[in-house]
Amino acid sequence: MSTQNIIPEVAHKPKPNPWVIVGRGVLQSFLVLLGIVVLYPLLWMALSGFKSNTEIFNSPFALPQNWSFSSYVDAWNNGVSQFVVSSLIVTAMSIVATVLISAWTAFGLTRTKIPGKPLLVGFVLGGMMLSPTVALVPLVRMMQSFGIYDTHWALILLYTAFRIPFTTFLIRAYMLDLPYDLDEAARMDGATEGQIFRKIILPLCQPIIVSCVILHVLFAWNEYLFAMIFTSSADTQTLPVGLTSLMSKHGTDFGQVFAAMTISALPIVIIFFLTQRYFIRGLTDGMGK
Amino acid sequence: MAEIKLRNIRKNYGTVEVLHGVDLDIESGEFVVFVGPSGCGKSTLLRTIAGLEEISSGEFHLDGKLMNYVKPANRGISMVFQSYALYPHMSVFDNMAFGLKIAGVSKDQIQKRIEKAAASLHLTPFLQRHPKALSGGQRQRVAIGRAIVRNPKVFLFDEPLSNLDAALRVATRIEIAKLKQSMPDTTMIYVTHDQVEAMTLADRIVVLKDGKIEQVGTPIELYREPASLFVAQFIGSPAMNLIPARLTKAGNETEVCTKDGNTIRIPVSSGGELIDSSVMLGVRPEDVWLAEAGSGFLKGCISLIEQLGEVQLVYLEGTFFDQPLIAKLPGTTELEVGMEIELSVKPELLHVFDQNEARLKRADFTQHSEPAVYA
Ligand SMILES: Nc1ncnc2c1ncn2[C@@H]1O[C@H](COP(=O)(O)OP(=O)(O)O)[C@@H](O)[C@H]1O
Ligand SMILES: [Mg+2]
Repeated sequence: MSTQNIIPEVAHKPKPNPWVIVGRGVLQSFLVLLGIVVLYPLLWMALSGFKSNTEIFNSPFALPQNWSFSSYVDAWNNGVSQFVVSSLIVTAMSIVATVLISAWTAFGLTRTKIPGKPLLVGFVLGGMMLSPTVALVPLVRMMQSFGIYDTHWALILLYTAFRIPFTTFLIRAYMLDLPYDLDEAARMDGATEGQIFRKIILPLCQPIIVSCVILHVLFAWNEYLFAMIFTSSADTQTLPVGLTSLMSKHGTDFGQVFAAMTISALPIVIIFFLTQRYFIRGLTDGMGK
Repeated sequence: MAEIKLRNIRKNYGTVEVLHGVDLDIESGEFVVFVGPSGCGKSTLLRTIAGLEEISSGEFHLDGKLMNYVKPANRGISMVFQSYALYPHMSVFDNMAFGLKIAGVSKDQIQKRIEKAAASLHLTPFLQRHPKALSGGQRQRVAIGRAIVRNPKVFLFDEPLSNLDAALRVATRIEIAKLKQSMPDTTMIYVTHDQVEAMTLADRIVVLKDGKIEQVGTPIELYREPASLFVAQFIGSPAMNLIPARLTKAGNETEVCTKDGNTIRIPVSSGGELIDSSVMLGVRPEDVWLAEAGSGFLKGCISLIEQLGEVQLVYLEGTFFDQPLIAKLPGTTELEVGMEIELSVKPELLHVFDQNEARLKRADFTQHSEPAVYA
């Protein structure tokens, strides 16, 4: 049998089909176009941050005449630095809370014996359908009575609470695919449920957790409704709300507004480009192979 | 020391009972194989011993201690999973060290034990690799290593060879036999649906059927004296031939008559109530040989020959058996498809099964003696 397999296969390439080449060319130019459509506005925004008001109005599509960072510096000093810090705090803390709670929930929903599990799954995932807008008024009362209205804690709590169902949904789908033999082997090795979670399941969920972190960053960094209603002072406001207040104060200085917007978008763009490969893999992995 | 006693073990999932009362004693240091068709409850029984499944009712004692409510890790039992269940994100070393670290074994001890196990399993060069970068056979050995380092009293295997290709399967089977020899005090329980694995490895075989023990015995006992039709057909390859017949004379010698009127007297005892009832005559493919025309017991026409070199499997179609009868004849005998042949049998090598599929036993007490050698 093995001797037959050794007979070399004649490598013969099929003649290139002209239509295949044309098709590939069309597809590639389409993708390049799509890239331009997505990237150009970002670039335009960043470039406009270097221009003066007159330039922006008279020659909106030209390159800036002199590359002055003054608008960026002004924006940074006029509050953007504070908004960035607030956004970082709220995003980072709500990520940690959301991912840990969701992963632990998903672990319970997929890997333990609990009575009425389907009901519990429905209950947790049903949270995805809860509309934040409808819940606003009671939430305001709640935050006030907790005494955390107009603090970072209000946003951290809300972002965590409202993102847990979706994050749990993603992690649960991933965990369902991890073989249960692993848990059993660990149990034979003497591991407790907590140890199985921390040392076996959580490390194996790394791809989906990276995806969840990115999705959460996208959400928390851009969230506007809660941020607007639950924070009012400049040192608690996050970027989206802060930018609007900046616009109402310096709304005529468009260079500065563009600069502020560029600064706020930059972290997201960088994170996404650095992690995009991971991001897609995590989301598709959970769907089974 | 590791003596296992199972007493009326039952297991149900919801309302479905999967194990219907299993009683079994396993001696310290024995190699016992659970064998049976897929779905008969082998894995379930093994997992109740491991502690991965709760015992619904009944008692499991290990060295005289009740184990029903003892956690898996505290039973002194290790298990090798069918899928190996190696932790994919850990190196081979960490896979083996995981249980020891949790048990609080000192670093030096862990290092020592793993090095010893790795050396005996030829895994030393791979200790820092991840399971992904290992071949199937190597993964298998890591799984065994992970079980060994915990110094278990009882070693459980659930179909450990089923993920390997044929050549590796034989090699690993021999490795496991050697492993057992090197651990004479460790009790091993091995689950398989493959009767060859069972025959070659076991001190004793436990045949399971539909959640019940059908028979327990040494491989040769099961082969020579199967308690039932089921065991007779399960042990041995090709399976035992069955010929429908009628019991015509009962007593210490039983006479049966096949469909075409051939009678034969067999040295097994039967009660008078069996007279005229239909029975099954069992004859192993290797227990027949070519006879001269007119003197054979089984007559038929060859429909197929599988030549294996040393022996040939001859399929015989005849008037009085429903399925083709398989005969294992010397490979050198010149035979052709379409030939009419006759086969002789030795009455003491024939088995008779009553309508309840139980095997009729011999009257005398010589049933443990070697069967007569025939020319
Ligand atoms: N978790 C479970 N829930 C319900 N039924 C099960 C479960 N595990 C096994 N069974 C049933 O128990 C029977 C025995 O299964 P198993 O012990 O795995 O058989 P095998 O002998 O092939 O290893 C099968 O009919 C199977 O469907
Ligand atoms: Mg099984």
